[in-house]
Amino acid sequence: MSIYQGSSLRVDLSTQEISRGSTPENGIGGRTWNSVTLLRELDAGIDPLGPENLLCISVGPLTGTEFAATCRIIASAKSPLTGILGDSGARGFFGPEMRWAGVDQIVFSGASEEWKYLYIDNDQIELRDASHLVGLDITDATVQLIDELGDPDLQVAAIGPAGENMVKYAIISCNLARACGRTGMGAVMGSKKLKAIVVRGTKPTRPADPDRFQKACSDLIANIEAHRQFRSRQLYGTTRIMDALADYGVLPAYHYRSAVFEDLEKVSSDALRRDHVVKGKACYNCNVYCSRYNYTSYSEGEGPEYEAQAAFTVKVGGSDLELAVHVSNMVNRLGLDCISTGEVIAWLMECRHEGIISDDDCDGIDLSWGSKEALLKLPELIAHRQGIGDLLSEGTKRAAEKFGTEAKKLTAEVKGLELFSADPRGIKGYGLMNAVNSRGGDHYRGEPMIELTGDEELAMRRVGNPQAAHRLSEEGKGALVNYAEHMGLLSDSMTICKNISCCMDVVDFDLAADAYSGFLGKEISKDDLWLACSHVSQVERDFNLREGLKREDDTLPDRFVNHPIPDGPAEGTTINIHKLVDDYYEVKGWE
Amino acid sequence: MCEVACSAGHFGAVSPALARIRVAKMDETGIDLAIACFSCKEKPCLECPTEALSVGDRGEIVLDSDYCDACGLCAEACPVGAVGFYEEPLFCDLCDGDPNCVKVCPSEALTYETGKEVSLAPFLEVGGTPSQRRVHFAGVMAEPLRKGWAEGRRVDS
Ligand code: SF4
Repeated sequence: MSIYQGSSLRVDLSTQEISRGSTPENGIGGRTWNSVTLLRELDAGIDPLGPENLLCISVGPLTGTEFAATCRIIASAKSPLTGILGDSGARGFFGPEMRWAGVDQIVFSGASEEWKYLYIDNDQIELRDASHLVGLDITDATVQLIDELGDPDLQVAAIGPAGENMVKYAIISCNLARACGRTGMGAVMGSKKLKAIVVRGTKPTRPADPDRFQKACSDLIANIEAHRQFRSRQLYGTTRIMDALADYGVLPAYHYRSAVFEDLEKVSSDALRRDHVVKGKACYNCNVYCSRYNYTSYSEGEGPEYEAQAAFTVKVGGSDLELAVHVSNMVNRLGLDCISTGEVIAWLMECRHEGIISDDDCDGIDLSWGSKEALLKLPELIAHRQGIGDLLSEGTKRAAEKFGTEAKKLTAEVKGLELFSADPRGIKGYGLMNAVNSRGGDHYRGEPMIELTGDEELAMRRVGNPQAAHRLSEEGKGALVNYAEHMGLLSDSMTICKNISCCMDVVDFDLAADAYSGFLGKEISKDDLWLACSHVSQVERDFNLREGLKREDDTLPDRFVNHPIPDGPAEGTTINIHKLVDDYYEVKGWE
Repeated sequence: MCEVACSAGHFGAVSPALARIRVAKMDETGIDLAIACFSCKEKPCLECPTEALSVGDRGEIVLDSDYCDACGLCAEACPVGAVGFYEEPLFCDLCDGDPNCVKVCPSEALTYETGKEVSLAPFLEVGGTPSQRRVHFAGVMAEPLRKGWAEGRRVDS
């Protein structure tokens, strides 16, 4: 069934032509439209940084409505980092503005000869010269555009130097620090010589069945307010998870060499809030307002989230929290993915620790654990592809090829995408998610959060297996990951924040069906939505198989499979990834 | 959330362009400030060429749509950009004394207070568009906050 067809803008950067079409008829918004577009329109084996790649940016039918936190855009393309499907979402305020401009999807094709930005003011849409913005970081480019266009209400999505230089894990950022972070969508944007997208929209969203829609909106707000994490998310955002991960024994200290970090207190969420947080920040229409503005003696900015906080402290073996906050600000401005950047640096430090490389291999930069010099210099070098940064800008998988087999063994990536700041050995559902999901090594595809709750009743209700509620259990994890993937895909279509829908688990397919039905004024059942997600999940699989993905690629790095966690609460644990993947394939009905 | 609640409450549809309270956001300095009509002492908006505007019981500005030519001069006159414009001027009507925006504000940043007279005299000569004036006002109001940050004040201190 066709649930909703939106307006799709086609922007050919080679010819500079702009035309209007429709989104694919089978999707439910956001990522579903993008994935279907990419499978349909791309040829197999294309160069992700060539003009033949498409960059799709979508919102969904619920974006910019009263349904809380429907704030995201989803950017998708073939990924230059992984060579398979790439996509990533950004929160903030850009998505709603795009929706109010009456644009549900933008598909960029070709490549421009000169640097451009796309300007959208409701129905006035044009490509404009961006040569004066080249070289500016994300903050400066955004502020420059707002100033020169004279409209503080407009929204900007921009790339920084990293995107311009096609660093394989460059980001696209909205509201300066709200990024499409993973899989290098900023590099694809840079390859097309598109520096920014500017949007201003005033066309309201109006539900077709106001009573039903209003009820769904109120139910969501009530679910959020009643949630046990509501207050701690307001205070700490995702940084709240650091203590819990330490208790589970899954901190990636010294690049996974230890699960115990002796200076945890110095880098904790409490220390962050006490010393550097000056103010709360929110995304569009979100009562959780989990983001925070920081102020340090080096710089200020929004964030960090747990991933940046942990990557630039625990993972690199450093205990200078203020430095880490600054590096997070810096990485945001340069336009680099904090997860991949942190992983690259931590991996280098481990290689140096093991004697596989020396400081001389890296332009003489001190690569000891927590090195301030490395943390300050490497992101700059990477973003500008200078010196050793040129190699590192290719991601750990490619960089490791230069440093040999031993260095390769130490990488923590799946399908070329660098892993998060937690240890998959002690959280099996997350391990499986990283191994099998359609964009490579990533935990946020959909969050198998239920395994952290111990709530057997919930696990029973969601996936029919109480054991799935336990993080160290390998039972029921195929079904759990399948459910979490569907939930992630649903969220990426509603464009609701996954912290809310997935991590807090306050949206399910019933509530989503009410929201869709109420807004669109036609009956859409939870089964319709589930089937739409199953269909697109298969579309994404087909895309990746067409790019040569094999079953053997659905795995985790050797260190997690064959070497136990050396210390801490989960000491001795490995992850039986083959068993988990088998279980998942069975749930999927794949050979 | 205040913009959404205002827009949805009055129009059953959502867009900040329909809201009578607007958030001035400056991401590069971390400042956000919600701005609605203060019912200020000066009330320069009342210089309406068709006399469509008057002051209501709660001090709110009342628009008589029958007289309004939608010239937009009132929105241009407000020194802090608090008058919206969507087909006709949008004035905060205080939701009959129980404002939607105050009810939904999750950080309790908004309150509804009566009996206080606010002068916007220092802002009367600020030029630019309404949205630029909102940002200007927010920037001025936030100066003590930002000074505090530079001196080491943190969110919980
Ligand atoms: S929970 Fe946080 S990240 Fe998500 S929409 Fe709300 S403020 Fe944004």
